[in-house]
Amino acid sequence: METTDFVNDSVLNLPEIAAVSFLSIDKKYKCVILLNILVVTVAVFLAIFGITRIDFNEFDIREYQWILYIVASTGILYTMLLLLYGFSKRKYAIREHDISYKSGVIFKAITTVPYVRIQHLEINQGPFSRFFKLATLNVYTAGDSSDDLEINGLLKTEALQIKEFISKKINE
Amino acid sequence: MSKAQNSLFSEFTRQSKKGILVIYFNKLRALFKASWVVVLVLFTKISQLSTPKLLALGGFLLLCFLVLLCIAYWSYRNFKFKISEGHFILHKGIVKKTNIAVPFDRIQHINFKQNIIQQLIGVYQVDIETTGSTNTEITIKALRYNDAQALKKMLIDERKSEVVKTIKEEEKTFLKIPFSQLFKVAITENHVKSLLIFVALLFGFYQQARDVLERVNYKAALNDLVTTEQVQESFFSSFTNGLLLFLLTFLLLSVIAILSSIIRVFLFHFNLTAFLEKNVLEIQQGLLTKKKIALQKEKVQSITVSTNPLKKLLGISFVTFKQAVSGTKSQKGNKAIRLVGCKKYHIEQIHQFLFTSAQLVFGQTHQMHSYYKSRMYIRTLGVLVVINACLFLMFSGWLVIVTNLILLPLCMVFIQLKYQKTTMKMNNEVLLFTNGMLETHYTILPLFKVQYVRIKQSVFQKRKAVVDLVLETASGKITIPCIEEEKAKKIYNYTLYKVETNELAWM
Repeated sequence: METTDFVNDSVLNLPEIAAVSFLSIDKKYKCVILLNILVVTVAVFLAIFGITRIDFNEFDIREYQWILYIVASTGILYTMLLLLYGFSKRKYAIREHDISYKSGVIFKAITTVPYVRIQHLEINQGPFSRFFKLATLNVYTAGDSSDDLEINGLLKTEALQIKEFISKKINE
Repeated sequence: MSKAQNSLFSEFTRQSKKGILVIYFNKLRALFKASWVVVLVLFTKISQLSTPKLLALGGFLLLCFLVLLCIAYWSYRNFKFKISEGHFILHKGIVKKTNIAVPFDRIQHINFKQNIIQQLIGVYQVDIETTGSTNTEITIKALRYNDAQALKKMLIDERKSEVVKTIKEEEKTFLKIPFSQLFKVAITENHVKSLLIFVALLFGFYQQARDVLERVNYKAALNDLVTTEQVQESFFSSFTNGLLLFLLTFLLLSVIAILSSIIRVFLFHFNLTAFLEKNVLEIQQGLLTKKKIALQKEKVQSITVSTNPLKKLLGISFVTFKQAVSGTKSQKGNKAIRLVGCKKYHIEQIHQFLFTSAQLVFGQTHQMHSYYKSRMYIRTLGVLVVINACLFLMFSGWLVIVTNLILLPLCMVFIQLKYQKTTMKMNNEVLLFTNGMLETHYTILPLFKVQYVRIKQSVFQKRKAVVDLVLETASGKITIPCIEEEKAKKIYNYTLYKVETNELAWM
């Protein structure tokens, strides 16, 4: 049980992902997260406000509106704490042959995509990110699911450099 | 390629004239599919209609059929294709005209199909699947067999001239399932799954019917239904009658499940014949719609061999081939191809077809960490609590107790089975992952076909130093649950190494 049985004689030292030094994303992305939360909060509270104005014939929803507000606030607060605490956990690494990204507090995940399997790369910018000159790098493979690899909060210039680097690698 | 074949598609060619008929019936079917509820309602009321109204209705129907015929004729007229300079060129459309040019190397599969009308008039439908993100799938509705074969040869073989030699080899029938064998396959299917598919189908019909009926205002009829239901409720209120109803429902559901299994298997796999060539596995099957699928060796990402206790008794299993799904066309659904009724030596032949014998020598089998079992217990407990809460609100006490008495041991047995069946084996090239509960599936995945790897770990898993390892391929993912962190990392690194150093094409 303890020892794995695949033999590795072809290479003496397999490059290890745990040994790679990971880079953090840009600090300014915290502001983007906070702004996003703000937008969501306003939207949710407006929605609750709207719903409680609707006249349901026999059921007076306004008596219970404080429950809605409390549930929504706790949900948003929880998400905010999780996102802020998890901010330092969002890290990426670029190696000779692959790109990795890890994140998560309660559920951690690390993903590595080899360059040889990349179908295309995309750089996206949301309205807030554009203000802070940040960008999102999306990496797509032929994999079934759409969430292949996504790195938020890179500096736009950095993202472009990475894209350039990987594109060059793919065409080699 | 002979000269005759080359000149065959060098000019713009139309489909076989019978294509008009095929298009016509397709359009009719689409019309019927959209309006079957209305048609049904009309039929029930046909006796109440006055003669002039009946005549008007008949006239309207005739007009519909004529218009459809015209549309069918024009779409046949405007559907032209040719082959020139390494491109397949297609012009089509009546109002909105479309010109498509597909280079040969973008063509991925060419499949033949025959629905019941195409079978009756003896033409084949040719589906040309292409790679890339643009949504170009070309369907030629009606070609004579010779033309279809010639077209396929020209499109596939011209780009791979080195393959032509091997394709010329005599193809040998590798698997043929006669009627009695297919019946055995059907009887031993997963009936619960069949039932679920059937229910889903019924639900779709029901929703469509309800939408229309709501508009036609069928409240009166619905009221009738409700009153009869109430009568039944009072009739079955006593304890023994309740039990009887339960048993009857169970019996009825079982019969429906088995019947739907049989229908499903016969619809899809009737007259299954498979040919094995050097690089291609060709599969022909289907009752109403005959499908001919050519499976190319290098396009297969992974295979899964599945069996269940009943099938094991008869010595049969089925193989699911997973092919690469290209680009962003995930909406096209799973490209899994199922080959049913395989005996042991068929499986061996499939193994030989896809892998070398050295690739299938494995070392020790690894069990999952016992945390996997704990996690299943905790999750099941959650579900059971919800079920209990629902039962408690809706039914009397004895039913809750009986349900729990049945459910609890059943869950425990299932979890134990699932835990025992989940194992993995590995060698330098290939991963073999086994899972299942009553059924047993083992999946063989060549490591270099992996698209990306992922390790997931929750805080609870961290305490036990176990992780979930996800290997994503171009046709779905394989998740190895709860294996030791160290082991997972080794596999993670090794898989990456395999992918990055590999020179072979993954599709």
